[in-house]
Amino acid sequence: MKNRLLVLVMVLSLILTACAGGQAPAASNEPATISMMMWGDPAELEVWNQIVADFHQAKPNITVKVEVSDWDSYWTKLKTLLSADTPPDVFAMDAPLYLDYQSRGVLLNLQPYLDKNPDLLKGVYPQTLDAYKTPDGMYGLPRDFQTIVLFYNKDMFDAAGVAYPTADWSYDDLRDAAKKLTVVGSDGKVSQFGFYSDLWDMELIWSEAIWAYGGDIINADHTKTLIAEPKAREAWQLFHDMMFEDKSWPDSTTAEEYGGDPFLAGVAAMTTIGHWAVPGYAEVNFKWDVAPMPKGPAGQATSVNSAGFVVGKSSKSPDAAFEFLKYVLSEPAQKRLAELGFACPVLQSVAESDSFLKQSTQIDQKVFLDSLVFAHMKPVFKGYDEWSSAIGDGMAGIWAGEVELEPTLDEAVKAADEVLASNE
Amino acid sequence: MEYGLKPLGREKFWLWALLTPTLIGLLFGALGSVVATVLLSFAKWDLLTPPTWAGIANYIDLFKDQKVLLSLTNTIKFTAMYVPGVVVISLLIAVLMNRKVRGVGLFRTAYFLPAVTSAVATALVWHMIYGRDTGILNFILERLGMQPVCWLCTENAMYAVVIVNIWGAIGEGMIIFLAGLTAIPREYHEAAAIDGANRFDQFFRITVPLITPSIFFQTLISTINAFQAYDYIYMLTRRPGGDSSIPVVVFSIYRNAWNFFNYGGASAQAIELTVIVALLMAFYFWLERRYVVYE
Repeated sequence: MKNRLLVLVMVLSLILTACAGGQAPAASNEPATISMMMWGDPAELEVWNQIVADFHQAKPNITVKVEVSDWDSYWTKLKTLLSADTPPDVFAMDAPLYLDYQSRGVLLNLQPYLDKNPDLLKGVYPQTLDAYKTPDGMYGLPRDFQTIVLFYNKDMFDAAGVAYPTADWSYDDLRDAAKKLTVVGSDGKVSQFGFYSDLWDMELIWSEAIWAYGGDIINADHTKTLIAEPKAREAWQLFHDMMFEDKSWPDSTTAEEYGGDPFLAGVAAMTTIGHWAVPGYAEVNFKWDVAPMPKGPAGQATSVNSAGFVVGKSSKSPDAAFEFLKYVLSEPAQKRLAELGFACPVLQSVAESDSFLKQSTQIDQKVFLDSLVFAHMKPVFKGYDEWSSAIGDGMAGIWAGEVELEPTLDEAVKAADEVLASNE
Repeated sequence: MEYGLKPLGREKFWLWALLTPTLIGLLFGALGSVVATVLLSFAKWDLLTPPTWAGIANYIDLFKDQKVLLSLTNTIKFTAMYVPGVVVISLLIAVLMNRKVRGVGLFRTAYFLPAVTSAVATALVWHMIYGRDTGILNFILERLGMQPVCWLCTENAMYAVVIVNIWGAIGEGMIIFLAGLTAIPREYHEAAAIDGANRFDQFFRITVPLITPSIFFQTLISTINAFQAYDYIYMLTRRPGGDSSIPVVVFSIYRNAWNFFNYGGASAQAIELTVIVALLMAFYFWLERRYVVYE
C-alpha cells in the first residue's frame, strides 16, 4: 500500500515537472510557437497571415498564431488575458495607449534585445520611435505610422471652379474654399458641405490646428491641459465659425445621418484623416486626392501616430517573440504592409519605394511621408484614454450645436485636468 | 403567497437532482462573480496590477463623480418612463390580440417581431425614422406644415430612446399578458355581461384584477430590463469612445472598467445598481402581498 502511494506521488510529480518543463523559456533555436494578437479587419488578417507565413519560411523553428479582433473587443480581450496573466506573446499597441500598459509592468523591456541588434532601427523613421521610448528603454516597436492629411473631392472642386488645395494653403484658404464648395439646395438646406472632420478625438483635426495656431495640447509633465489657452482658442473659434456661421462643416448630428463620414458619403468636399481611410475611399465613385495640412500663423503642423507591437512580460518565448518583431521591421514584411494600404511603412526604404508610392489607389502618396517634417507626436501618457474622453465627451455638445463654445471648453478643460490629477 | 404544487417523497429527490447542474453553475458562476464584485468594490484595481484596499473611497466617488451621477439620473428617468410604458401598452395590445379578429396571428407575429430581430439592425431603421434632416418622421411633420424636430439631440434623445425600447419590449410583454388573459374563464365575462357590465367595467373589474399576477411579473421583468438597457440606447445615441449623449449606468460601468482602468469604481457602481434594483423588488413584493390576486 505504502509503495503504491509512493509510486503515485512519483508519477504525479513527474507529470507536474513535465508541465513545468514545457513552460521553461525556449532557447532561440528550439522550436517555439508564439501567439500574436492584433486589431484589424479581414483584409488585414489576410496580409498578416502572409507575413507570418513568410516569417515561418525564414525561421522554420518559429510558428506564429495570429488572432485578429475589431478595435473595441481587442482591448477588452487583451485586458482580460493580461489580468489572467496569460497574455499573447506578441500583441499590437496603439502608441497613445502604450504607457497605460508599460507603466503597469505588463510589457517586456526590449532594450536588451535592441542593444544586441544595434542596426535594427537604423532605417526606421525616428518620429515613429519616440512614442515607445521610456527612461529604461523601449518596451515596444512601431510597425506602421499615420500622418493626417487633407483629402479632397476633385469632382466637387472642378464643379465649383475652385483650385485644388496646395502645400501653401492656410486655414483661411481652407475656410474660403469650404465656403465656396458649400451648396444650399432649393429647400434652404445644405446639400453639399465644403469640409468635414470629426472633432471628438484630437487626431483628425484639432490637435493639428492648435499646433498650427501656435498653441499646444498638454504640458510636458502631463499635469495641465492647454487647449483653452488663447492661441488654441483661435483654432476652436475657426471650427465653430465654419460650422455655425458659414455652415460649410456639418455638425455631428448631421454627420451621423451620413453614416458618420460625409466625405465618404459624397456630401463633403474635403476632410482630414489618415491613411487608414484610403482603402475605404478607394471604393467611392468620385475622383479624390490628398494634400498636406494647411498652415496656421505658427506654421504647418500635422499629427503622427504609430501602431506597433509589444511583448507580454510573462511570455514563455520572448526570444522568438522578438525575432518576430524584428521580422516585422524587415523589408519583405514592410512591403506587404505597404501594399495592404492601411498605413505608411515605418521603414524608410520601403516607404520611399514603389511598393508604397505606386499603390493601386492612385493618389499622391508622398504627401503622407512629406508631412513627417512638420508632424507632432500625438501625446502619450498614462491615463490618456480617460483624459481624452473627458475632452471629447465634454465638447461633444458644442459640435452637436447644443451648447456655447467658450464656457463648455472651459468646463471640459477643468474635467480633463481633474482626470490628470487623479491619475498622478 | 403559495405557488403551485408541493413536491412529495421521491419527487423531492428528483427535484434536487435535476436542479443540481443549474445550482452548481449559479453557485460558481453567478455567486462567485457577485462575491468578487463586492470585494473589488472596496479596492482600487486597474486589472493589470494587483488590487489594493481602498475602503469606501469608490462608494464616496459614486456621489462625487459628476459623470456617474448623470448616468444614474439618466437610468432612473429611463426606468420611470419605460416600465409603465411597457406594462400599459403591452397589456392593451394583449387585450386587443386576445379577441377573435381575422389575421390575429399575423398581428401577434408583427408585435413580437422586434423581440427576435437584432437590436442593432432595428436601431439603424429607427435612425432613418428619427434623422433630423433626412428622417421619415420630420419629412411627415414638414409635409403637415410643422417644424422639424431634432429627435436624437440631447434634449429629446431620452424620449426617442424610451419609445424605441418600449416598442422593442411590447412583444414579450404581450406574450406574458396573453397567457394571463387566456387563463381567465370565459364565464366571468359572460356572467358580468348578463349583469349589465359594459366592456370598460369588465376590463377594470374582471380582467385587470385577474391578471395582477402577470402585471406584477411584467413590472418586475421590465424594471430589471430597464436598469440593464443598453443596445438601442447605444445604437441611437452613441458618441465616439463609448460615450452617449444620454449615458445610462451600464455605459458608465463599462467605460470605467474597460476604458479607464477603474474596476473598483465600476464594481461599486454595479453594487449600487444591484442595491437599487433589490430595493425596488422589495417594494414590488410588498405591493404584491397587498394587491395581487391569486386564484
